[in-house]
Amino acid sequence: MKLLVVEDEVKTGEYLRQGLSESGFVVDLARTGLDGHHLALTEQYDLIILDVMLPDVDGWRIVQALREAKSTTPVLFLTARDSVEDRVKGLELGADDYLIKPFAFSELLARVRTLLRRGSTPVLHDQLQVADLVLDLPRRRAQRHDVRINLTNKEFTLLELLVRRQGEVLPRSLIASQVWDMNFDSDTNVIDVAIRRLRAKIDDDFQPKLIHTVRGMGYMLDVSSGA
Amino acid sequence: MTRRPASLALRLTVSIGAVITLVLLSFGWIIERSIDTHFIQQDVDELNALVQAVAQSLSEPLPGATTDDLKRRLAGAISGHHNAQFRLSDSSGTVIYATITRGLDGFARLIPSADAINIDTVKMWQDKGQTYRGAAVQLMPTGVLDDKPLTLAVATDIGFHLHYLESFRTYLQLITLVACLIAILATWFAVYQGHAPLRRISAEIRRIKSDRLSIRLAPNTVPVELTELAVSFNDMLDRIEEGFQRLANFSADIAHELRTPITNLRTQTEVVLSQPRDAEQYQEILYSNLEEYERMAKMVGDMLFLAQADNNQLQAEQIEVNVRTEVQMLFDYFEAWAEERSVSLLCQGPALCVQGDRLMIRRALSNLLSNAIRYTPVGQAVTVTLVAHSDATVIIRVENPGLTINPEHLPKLFDRFYRADPSRQRTGDGAGLGLAIVKSIIDAHGGTITAKSAAEKMIFEIQLPRVSIDE
Repeated sequence: MKLLVVEDEVKTGEYLRQGLSESGFVVDLARTGLDGHHLALTEQYDLIILDVMLPDVDGWRIVQALREAKSTTPVLFLTARDSVEDRVKGLELGADDYLIKPFAFSELLARVRTLLRRGSTPVLHDQLQVADLVLDLPRRRAQRHDVRINLTNKEFTLLELLVRRQGEVLPRSLIASQVWDMNFDSDTNVIDVAIRRLRAKIDDDFQPKLIHTVRGMGYMLDVSSGA
Repeated sequence: MTRRPASLALRLTVSIGAVITLVLLSFGWIIERSIDTHFIQQDVDELNALVQAVAQSLSEPLPGATTDDLKRRLAGAISGHHNAQFRLSDSSGTVIYATITRGLDGFARLIPSADAINIDTVKMWQDKGQTYRGAAVQLMPTGVLDDKPLTLAVATDIGFHLHYLESFRTYLQLITLVACLIAILATWFAVYQGHAPLRRISAEIRRIKSDRLSIRLAPNTVPVELTELAVSFNDMLDRIEEGFQRLANFSADIAHELRTPITNLRTQTEVVLSQPRDAEQYQEILYSNLEEYERMAKMVGDMLFLAQADNNQLQAEQIEVNVRTEVQMLFDYFEAWAEERSVSLLCQGPALCVQGDRLMIRRALSNLLSNAIRYTPVGQAVTVTLVAHSDATVIIRVENPGLTINPEHLPKLFDRFYRADPSRQRTGDGAGLGLAIVKSIIDAHGGTITAKSAAEKMIFEIQLPRVSIDE
């Protein structure tokens, strides 16, 4: 997967490149709007991450040029300006998603993966399986080690999200928005409690442990990382 | 673009000036008329004297005299009257005697009357550069001209009068014009002087700067008409000063709230870097930093939201939001957390709709609920009650048992960074912006929120404009 990052802020650009590279992406970094514009139109990318505020050619012009050239490459905006008009403008011009600075890197990563997945047609399984955990999607039932586990509706949705995106760190804000449709930060540790309860049901009596806390970032469901 | 209204001084000067000019003009007209009338009366008297004189000369019998004798007598009859002319003719219109032979065609047009001449019967005409006023009367001679009725037309040259009138009129116009100018200037000056208090107030207002907002106008030193202005201006200053103070406090609070985490981050980092450590310790400090960053990012986000609310930039989407559904969703969200604290959640009341931004309303309710759950003692319940107050208002009451809060602290609960208990800082309940955000969201939706506290119960009551549900 090849990504283009257009970011004029030196430190941010460098860390984005490092972080995304270490997460398994090939990353091109453009430091000016002009370079970004050129690369976006001449190279093939799976996704473009654009800073809106660039000194020469701003992010909006780049996405406009991209859409005029009939390119469907997904575009994710990074913006420090949190105004409704800005968001609407970006989305109207053909951006696929936006993130407001300061953002958590885990959040960016999760959004990037969501956008990349969007292109491929999702395979509709009736069943999801990780290690010995099996999710029966139509009946909304879970079982582990052939033992049926009673989950509430929301617990099942949460588990399904974790399983579908196994191996990815899911930030609390993403979990809140995907499972409960709460699109804002809350002061509470609601997500932690919910995860703790889910864990008690599916991990406490079984091995290996599946749900992992990634400190300061979020939660992840994974088999291999036996931490 | 609307045009700027004319200046007050100009408006007053124009209207007062117009009135004065009108008065002076009518005054001048009346004077002119009365002098004119006076002259006519004089002319009438003169003409009547003429008639008298001619009639006198015709009443003395002149037996056996010739026409020439009569003419001589007639010529002598008006010897004392300068500028006077007359013509005597018989009933068939034949001229018997005329003082002048030319330039008196006007005589022919006069209609003779039996009575004495008065203002209404005199006529004025011009002939050969002279202006005459004249009239005609019937005379019955005795002892002359066979006592047949005669017509006597008399006229007097009024050129002298007219000349005098003309110069008088010019003089009058000049006086009127000068008087008008003086009156208008005086008016303008008076109006300008009258506005002096305004200029004084303006100078006083100019002294008010952002660092001297405590200056107030003294309403009892300005004219009565301006008292109300001064009072409302002072009220505005009160509000601005309060808002300014709040803003200044807010900025100070921001600095303070950010200083603490930055100090933590800095000290931690410095201490860790002061000597070599193993990877685990570095990791630990980075994790700890990450948590601190997250808190700061959230605070900055909240403050931005509030700043937007302050600038009226919160653009609330206008859709129908079913409050009961929202509360139920939030209950789902908070359920696990509340259960862990052994707090139960209850919702009472019908499904009610309000107009607004779903996300914002959810955020406001979420802040209230998390606040309520946090302060509810173990084993008790948070109750949300929905009431249709009237056709126009929905009341959302969030109620939780807990401590009774001193009534004087209640309005401050919505202040930014306000914490009823200062020692409760930084124990995971955010930066103290939650309720401020609730208030700005409710304000942006045209609603009100109040806090009440009594008998170990805390109640937040929101009133929002209602939208009736189409069944």
